[in-house]
Amino acid sequence: MGPLAIIAIVLACAAVAGVAGRLVKVSALFTLPIAISVVLVSVFTRAGTTVLFTIGPFDATLEGVEFAAQTVVRLFAISTAISLFGMTTDPRAFVLDLERRGLSPRFAFVAAATVEAVPAMAARAATIAAAQRSRGLDTEGSVLARARGFLPLIVPVVLSSLTEVEERSLALEVRAFGRPGRRHLLWAPGDRSWERILRWGLAVVLALLVVARVAGIVPGTA
Amino acid sequence: MSGAATRPIGREPAIRVRGLVHVFPEGTRALDGVDLDIATGEAVAIVGQNGSGKSTLVRHLNGLLRPTEGTVEVLGEPADRLRVAALAARVGLVFQDPDRQIFARRVRPEVAFGPSNLGIRGKDLDAAVDEALAAVGLSDQAGANPYDLGYSRRKLLSIASVLAMRTPIVVLDEPTTGQDLRGIARVQAIVASLAADGRTVIAISHDMRFVAETFGRVVVMRAGRVVLEGTPAAAFGEPAWPVLTSTYLEPPLAARAGARLGLGATPTESAFVEALAAGRS
Repeated sequence: MGPLAIIAIVLACAAVAGVAGRLVKVSALFTLPIAISVVLVSVFTRAGTTVLFTIGPFDATLEGVEFAAQTVVRLFAISTAISLFGMTTDPRAFVLDLERRGLSPRFAFVAAATVEAVPAMAARAATIAAAQRSRGLDTEGSVLARARGFLPLIVPVVLSSLTEVEERSLALEVRAFGRPGRRHLLWAPGDRSWERILRWGLAVVLALLVVARVAGIVPGTA
Repeated sequence: MSGAATRPIGREPAIRVRGLVHVFPEGTRALDGVDLDIATGEAVAIVGQNGSGKSTLVRHLNGLLRPTEGTVEVLGEPADRLRVAALAARVGLVFQDPDRQIFARRVRPEVAFGPSNLGIRGKDLDAAVDEALAAVGLSDQAGANPYDLGYSRRKLLSIASVLAMRTPIVVLDEPTTGQDLRGIARVQAIVASLAADGRTVIAISHDMRFVAETFGRVVVMRAGRVVLEGTPAAAFGEPAWPVLTSTYLEPPLAARAGARLGLGATPTESAFVEALAAGRS
């Protein structure tokens, strides 16, 4: 019941945030590839007494189906929780808040730059793809044609990313980024009292659940 | 001069754009009803402030973008019926940033990439590459690593890589960015040579001096529309200045100096000198 409860809570939060539909879609996309392999492996290889059907040398067992269902639900629960965090949290605000709480500025920058680099790299990759398609690279044709286009697409993405990282680090250093000492943050996200209560409350619940699980009070199945 | 599509007389249109509207998925209306004809062999500059729709317009010419409304015809055929890979044989588009396309470890295979994609092989391919490298002045760098070249030479390399495709239409996006005077002169010579060969050249530029000195027609865009078009003399003449100002563009110095001295339309330095000499004699 645990993973199902988590999914229900996460979906309720997502509905409040107005991202429920997108969350389900994204989480399903993240879960699907692993879910397919889990289902195939579990259903046909897990030992069990109730055989549902047979394909060649493989028996599909009821126990395998149950295990696959439990695993997929757990994966989906993890995926929805992580996706909800990603969809509703401004990465810059998150990292700045961590920095305010004592995280190294260098580590904070690396974390923020990594998160922010993803959309920037996607935009750069789109421009590079457009430039190569303009030179006749066929990205809409056969699999072989697309495979031929891998190198002309990936090399400029990597090289321009490396150049940008170097330029960015130089730009930071010339603005005294490496200077030791405490920083004054120009802006930090708000932290209201109910948010603090909720955060600490969740931490306590998590601790209690871990204790209950270790003590055997809460069973470890879905 | 303003708004309506120009219909060059006596020449087949290489490009025919009608009522072109493009709305990006996030809702930005980048093009808002563009009508434009460009004749075969014409050299046309498209100017306008950032975000005016210049790049969006040229990306419709080789199918990278598809119209939300309206039509684009390339050499008499609707562009939306052709894939980008097929349109690449008709329209060569040089992107602004050379580092967004260079991938080969040597200059020669980088230039050969486009024409080989179009099916050019053997001696024809060698000739196309040699010709393109010579046009941009990089013949002696054929074996060099592109990233050992300076930015301006990488920019010329990106132009060569499209010239080698021998497309009847060549589009240059900001070809003079990062170029010194020698590089700008090289680009001017390339445009003149292409036009002399009967190929159509379209360039996006913020360099008004380069535009006035190099192109036969200037198309001014603002907020996704063509707001002015004509010869450099007309586009940079004093009557057009309010429109240029509204697009945050400044006429070239020769045009401004000529107007202040009462010499009439002098978009180029040679026109200015001639008008000045005629005024003295």
